[in-house]
Amino acid sequence: MKTRTLYRGLSSALLGLSLSCSAISQAEEPIKVGIMLPFSGVYAALGDAGRNGLKMALAEHASDLHGREIEYIEVDTEARPERAPEIATSLMSQQQADFIVGPVHSGVAMGMLKVLRNKKPIVIIPNAGANAATGPWCAGNVFRTSFSAWQPSYPMGQVALDRGYKRVVTMSWNYGFGKESLEAFEESFTAGGGEVVKQIMVPFPKTEFQSYITDIASMKPDAVFVFFAGGGAVKFVKDYDALGLRGKIPLLGSGFLTEGTLAAQGEAAEGILTGLHYADEISNDANRNFRTAYETRFGKPADLYAVQGYDTGLLIAQAVQQLKGDISDRDALIKVMEQSTIKSPRGDFHFSKAHNPVQNIYLREVQDGENRVIDIAAAGLEDPARGCKL
Amino acid sequence: MDFAIFLVQLLNGLQYGLLLFLIASGLTLVFGVMGILNLAHGSMYMIGAYLMWYFVQLTDSFVLAALLSAVIALLLGVVIEKTLINRLYRRNHLDQVLLTIGMIFVFNAMQSLLWGDDPLGVAVPGWLSGSISLTELVEYPVYRIFVALLCLLLAAGLYLVINRTRLGMLVRAGESNREMVECLGIDINRLYTIVFGAGVMLAALAGVVSAPMASIVPGMGEHVLISCFVVVVIGGMGSIKGAFVAALMVGIVDTFAAVLLPQLSSMIVYILMAVILIIKPQGLFSS
Amino acid sequence: MTYFFGKKTEQLFIWLFFPLALLLPLFLEQNEFYVNKLTSVVIFAIFVMSLDYLVGRCGMITLGHSMFYGLGGYLFILIAPEFEAVNFWVYTFYICVLAAAIALVVGVIVLRTSGVYMIMITLAIAQMCFYFFSDSVEFGGNDGLFILMKPDTSLFGLAFFNLDDPLHFYYFCLLSLFNCLVFWKLVTGSRFGRIMEAVKDNPQRTTALGYNVFLFRLLSYVMASALAAYAGYLFALQYGFVNPSMMSWQTSGSALVMSILGGMGSLYGAILGTVVYEGLHYSLEHLTEHWLLLMGCLIIAMVMLFKAGIAGFLENLLERRK
Repeated sequence: MKTRTLYRGLSSALLGLSLSCSAISQAEEPIKVGIMLPFSGVYAALGDAGRNGLKMALAEHASDLHGREIEYIEVDTEARPERAPEIATSLMSQQQADFIVGPVHSGVAMGMLKVLRNKKPIVIIPNAGANAATGPWCAGNVFRTSFSAWQPSYPMGQVALDRGYKRVVTMSWNYGFGKESLEAFEESFTAGGGEVVKQIMVPFPKTEFQSYITDIASMKPDAVFVFFAGGGAVKFVKDYDALGLRGKIPLLGSGFLTEGTLAAQGEAAEGILTGLHYADEISNDANRNFRTAYETRFGKPADLYAVQGYDTGLLIAQAVQQLKGDISDRDALIKVMEQSTIKSPRGDFHFSKAHNPVQNIYLREVQDGENRVIDIAAAGLEDPARGCKL
Repeated sequence: MDFAIFLVQLLNGLQYGLLLFLIASGLTLVFGVMGILNLAHGSMYMIGAYLMWYFVQLTDSFVLAALLSAVIALLLGVVIEKTLINRLYRRNHLDQVLLTIGMIFVFNAMQSLLWGDDPLGVAVPGWLSGSISLTELVEYPVYRIFVALLCLLLAAGLYLVINRTRLGMLVRAGESNREMVECLGIDINRLYTIVFGAGVMLAALAGVVSAPMASIVPGMGEHVLISCFVVVVIGGMGSIKGAFVAALMVGIVDTFAAVLLPQLSSMIVYILMAVILIIKPQGLFSS
Repeated sequence: MTYFFGKKTEQLFIWLFFPLALLLPLFLEQNEFYVNKLTSVVIFAIFVMSLDYLVGRCGMITLGHSMFYGLGGYLFILIAPEFEAVNFWVYTFYICVLAAAIALVVGVIVLRTSGVYMIMITLAIAQMCFYFFSDSVEFGGNDGLFILMKPDTSLFGLAFFNLDDPLHFYYFCLLSLFNCLVFWKLVTGSRFGRIMEAVKDNPQRTTALGYNVFLFRLLSYVMASALAAYAGYLFALQYGFVNPSMMSWQTSGSALVMSILGGMGSLYGAILGTVVYEGLHYSLEHLTEHWLLLMGCLIIAMVMLFKAGIAGFLENLLERRK
């Protein structure tokens, strides 16, 4: 009995395999958008929000696509870098995707770019912030609608100086994105005469922060600048508060520290200053409409990752509209995309030569469980794109 | 490092170590008695934390939520033992490894389906929310001290149960000789069910008490699992006393290495484990 | 051939699998992906097979085998000049020898323990290695590194195949897999293999018979590690990308799953396990977003039903009447 059920399961799985192999492209071809985002594991929430935003934008602009349908091909990256080249190849040659949207994780981005740089599909990165993607590894067909690690952190050095902080401890997980964030902060902070007393690199994905925070307390710096995201951000902010440092040593961060995590952090996050290219309460029509529509559609408030996915959708929609639905000329497509201005919920942005957004970085403070915009930390900030030859 | 900071760090290390003990105790108990290597042990920790979050939302009471979570975890453990594990006792150890890896997949998927993937948090209950000033800057939250004491209490409780009760005697007997226990006319299957259920409950309990301190996120179980194995192996598989000593050791070494040897901090517990296994290939207190 | 691949099921499998694998690219749609996917399955099967030998034939359970898989890729980056195409065969030799040397040192430490303790100490050493590469700036940290120049495959002035052609590379990997299978069969069929089997079943008695059990284990460990590194080297060359996640304990874990699933110690079961696992993964993940749930349930079901993996199940089915 059991064996038979298993046989059935196996044979249907094999059938699935053969079916997906034999899916041959149809005559009236839709525009194919490959999505490679994490839908399981630690980054699942980010992948899900990005996908929602992307689909919502393209659904809203369905009438602008000159009759072209959109077909989505979704693959779970599981945030495993060693799988990235394979998935990228699948979307490029098996599925013949016109656009490939992804990923969240910087390591996956590197594996993906290895395969897709200067190939036919247009790659749009809706999150992964590795400086290299629009730095030394930039390419004509690679765009990014999110940020480079450098962008949200660089202006925070000046913010710290303006508030009179001279001695700062910086801290992050010991991986590429974290290091790049701390370096960007340090760049502007030390240029203005500040001193980084100590740089603490925590092994990723360790979340036992108590000893580090105690160490910070023993150094008595003027302020602390950190990069953490997701679960680590929640734990760090809670530990910082629990050991009594909140309100005594100001906490600054790259915006991810308080993005999508405020509900879990609760009271402990109050007063944290962060820099980011978005904040929930930005007051422009695009943002208000976007937030209402997103909440109605998906039953939960939009977050940064949804915005980035949404802007990716807008970028695709605008390009298709301007080319009157004909995206077969790759060079023309890239040219149109390069010149587009996105009316994003975060405020309008356009692309730098390296295809990274030129955008405002907002200075936000957590008040009553929300990221309040208190200033624009840097207007129209462009990533230096070091090493990019575009 | 001045003396006050040294003491605070020591406290950090002890508290982390005690929590590690709580998670690891169930694993070592199950292995010691039943010889089962439960790789899904970390998932039970995760389930505990998620259940806690869910019931705190539902009942708004910390104690009630903790009790409900513990009971559900116990039942879950019993059901798993009755339906799956007990068919594998006479099979290869590797089959158990495969089974528990399958269980990790299922639990991770269930977590995503039932509770979503956003990071979640539980507030510290009002009656435990104060903190004690240690130095002019550093405070220590009452809740964390409470958790440390709770872990100590559980350790003492486990010790008493195993060394002073009839159940404990059976557990000890089961560790050394399964057939003998069976010959004495004792229902070894029932004993195994109880032990496995208790093991799952201990892991879930660790998840429950860490819920207000940690962030409740997908994948939290796997990360804990490795630390847990390190503790159990250093202590000697199956030894509760060993797990206790090893957990404190790992907690303290990890805490101080983070500050004093930052270059090695990611590897330090593994170095510790390797060194101990080179000197004592069976761990510190193996039976 | 008949004598060499002893069991009926094993013969049947080999006569089915290899011709099918040879012909498959001709029937598939002509695009890079299918060939690449098949290649990565074949490469991983080489890795799984080395683990299968170690665990199933020598009784040495390791959860740190991925260290050698990852080292295969990283060693190449370490010793090959960055902007110069080196010779493939020479570097294959270097990498296997280096990995074997590392395995010799690690083995001396690791083999002092056994059973669960061995699982854990191999895990510990692999984790140290994983963190070493994750933390190091020179090796690209968590983001990994690119191999900029693929090696040149000419031997005595003759270029047998082109590494940049996916189809060539696929056939080369398939040949490697076949060679590995033959190699392991030769090892297990030899006097060495029979003594190793005795070591596995009863180390005390084998010691009493005057054999140095430690040396037998060490040699097996070194061979398996060198071949794991070879697989990792092939993987790194396939896309020209290495990442520390190759060394993560999850990689070891999934290899172990495939090996147990296929039928521990049956060697050809390693191919079977890898193909079934990867096939299921591929089809389930295209079927539903909650593929983890189905995958988990299927794994549990298979453990419950098959007493000795898929290979054991097939053997039972085909050879029952004998």
